[in-house]
Amino acid sequence: MTNLTRNDIEIATRAADHFTRLYYSTYDSATRVDDLPKFYRPSSALVWNGKPLQGSDGVRKLLGGMPTTKHDIQSFDCHPIPGSQPPSLMVIVSGTVVHGKGPAGNPPSTPSKSVDGQPRVFSQTFMLVPDPNAPKSTTGEVAKYYISADAVRFVG
Amino acid sequence: MLSSPSPAPSGRSIAANALRKAGLMDRDRDERMRDASDKPGGRKGAQKSTQRARAHPHRPRAIDAITGKDLPGASNASRVSMLASRLAAGDSIAIRGASKGTLGRLRRNAVSGSTSADAATESKVISLWKEFVHRRWNPEAKFLNLERMAEDDYIRRNALVAPGAPGSTNKEASVIFKIASKLTPEVETMSLAHNNITSASTIIGLPRYLPKLVNLSLEGNKLRMWKDLDYIAGRRGRLENLRELVLTGNPIREVEYQNNRVDQYKSEVARRFPSLEILDSEAIAKIAFDVPQASTSTALPAQPAATTFPCEMGPSFLTGVDGSIISNFFMRFFPLFDNQRSALVDAYHPDATFSFSANTAIPARARIEGYHHSKEMPNQRKLEWSPWLLGGHGGSRNLNRMGGGVEKMAKTLHIGNQEVVKAMSDLPKTRHDVAGAPEKFCVDAFPVTHGDSMHLFVTVHGQFVEEPAEGIRSFDRSFMLAPAPEGSRAKQSGWDVMILSDELVVRAYSSHEAWRPGPMRVQAGEPFPPSASPAQLPPANAQAQALLQEALSSIPEPQRSLVMQICQRTGLNVAFAVQCLEGNGWDLERAVANFEQVKGTLSRDAFL
Repeated sequence: MTNLTRNDIEIATRAADHFTRLYYSTYDSATRVDDLPKFYRPSSALVWNGKPLQGSDGVRKLLGGMPTTKHDIQSFDCHPIPGSQPPSLMVIVSGTVVHGKGPAGNPPSTPSKSVDGQPRVFSQTFMLVPDPNAPKSTTGEVAKYYISADAVRFVG
Repeated sequence: MLSSPSPAPSGRSIAANALRKAGLMDRDRDERMRDASDKPGGRKGAQKSTQRARAHPHRPRAIDAITGKDLPGASNASRVSMLASRLAAGDSIAIRGASKGTLGRLRRNAVSGSTSADAATESKVISLWKEFVHRRWNPEAKFLNLERMAEDDYIRRNALVAPGAPGSTNKEASVIFKIASKLTPEVETMSLAHNNITSASTIIGLPRYLPKLVNLSLEGNKLRMWKDLDYIAGRRGRLENLRELVLTGNPIREVEYQNNRVDQYKSEVARRFPSLEILDSEAIAKIAFDVPQASTSTALPAQPAATTFPCEMGPSFLTGVDGSIISNFFMRFFPLFDNQRSALVDAYHPDATFSFSANTAIPARARIEGYHHSKEMPNQRKLEWSPWLLGGHGGSRNLNRMGGGVEKMAKTLHIGNQEVVKAMSDLPKTRHDVAGAPEKFCVDAFPVTHGDSMHLFVTVHGQFVEEPAEGIRSFDRSFMLAPAPEGSRAKQSGWDVMILSDELVVRAYSSHEAWRPGPMRVQAGEPFPPSASPAQLPPANAQAQALLQEALSSIPEPQRSLVMQICQRTGLNVAFAVQCLEGNGWDLERAVANFEQVKGTLSRDAFL
């Protein structure tokens, strides 16, 4: 293992910031079925609420049957994991997600105290790793990263 | 002859009134304008020129466009710079583009329906700005060149207050950006170089009106403080695509360079604009992703989105690892975390990382359920966030809330097992009841490859009692674990696995019902996904069931679940259910309502 430098930490933090914005805005977009799988590779492992899925195809299939979403990120954190150069990143995200039409989509007879349609709290953790085979597209690019593992749960 | 106490409103004073009313000009400026127009013989001339400008606002003189560019130092940006060189190259085109643009595009403001003189003048001021923006716009290069606005002859002639000029507020710039937001094609590159801008509060409207800007030059302004820059820092939905930024010639950059703080300068800027690739013509080291390009994302959604979840909530998921390894780990880890954190020092790798972050948001479902005020949990109101926000040697590492604080970002990541344990020991005392109430915890764990080795990726969700308030909090915690090598401190202390990385999120209490295995509902009143439990299908004989299943199998998800629901709610057969949904834009409620209207007219063979 190598020691983390301040530079590693900074790059990791910035990457996590950029990544979370991109990922959830893509997830919430009309083109998510085509676009979100691009963050993954065929070897990626995912677990959605305890259900295992494999790779980009698994993501595509999952999203094909998913109601529309609107994510709101409330906190995220990121560690560079030493052991590879550049380091892998572990990103943990906490926030809420509204599915479908939210409370507005409930039938009129729904009691006001119903939790149906209300935002759910979700927790999602990603392992982001450098892709050694991806061509570098910009001058300052350290590496191209993809999601090698992803575990998400509704937790509230 | 009686002298009138106040001069009749000239065109100029109406303009001044309108400006002041619109907040585009302060009183001083007004006074100065009055002074100017009160000069002997001056008023008449001014009035004339204003009238002429009003009569022919869209007649640009070639010289205007050129004088704007022909300023001392305008071409001193000749250093090797991608944006800078593009800006320079764009100059000549900008003139052409600008004059072309003013021919057809310039019209009086749309407010012209108004009868009030002030409103008309107000719209005229905006028209003047519109013409200015179009003069400076190069549609071929998608480049809006707003350099040196105060020195532009057009600005002077029309007595406009340029952003950054004395007497300006952030309104002028916002007006300009709003006009710019309507340009086609969309503005990609903008230069605000040499405008005497001392704080980005002047251009606070920029991220709002031009959220997709790609290249921005603020060269040669007077930005001094980081908080000045925070006004335009990238946020969600704002300047998220900014690729290149030029701050050369601003004190914020030059002072840092003089003090050999180049790296700090770069990271402070990069933190504020996570998408940035080039700063002051130099590449920034960054990690890239296979970003879906906005331009390719134009395909229409092929199908209506599903209205149910694709799968049920599953129980804890463990694969590729002996479950006892995980349970042994947690059965030992949490009691030590609760009672003797210092004893965890050997569970962490010598280079391990730990951080915690507080998500202080109030969860909507928990609020509706009344958990904050329930009799069962009387201590919830006694919980405070401050020990989490400020404790643990640096406080919460919620990067979503950390602004530009590079120092804090480094300080709140605890590296090395000694540091980890020290930071943890400063956090509130906790009680995790992992042995007594396992249903209150949920674990997903699977192996991942990392470099040349296999690691365990583990996430756990659950709750703990926080002392001394005795209130309950929820948490999410993710670990990267590695097998403890023979002879290691971890192995010697009886740990089969050791922690490489530990990220803890502490949040307000939500019930563990959230992950109770079983079907989940998107909207109230919906049946749970029928695919999960075929028993919910309407009673029918076995043959009809088989036919239904066969008919359904040819329909792709997510339509299938909609069809199922229609079948259930209306008793229609699959073919008619599909017709009904198609006729109602695949909207379930509309389809049901439509069915209710026409059901009397349907023949028997429409039904199951």
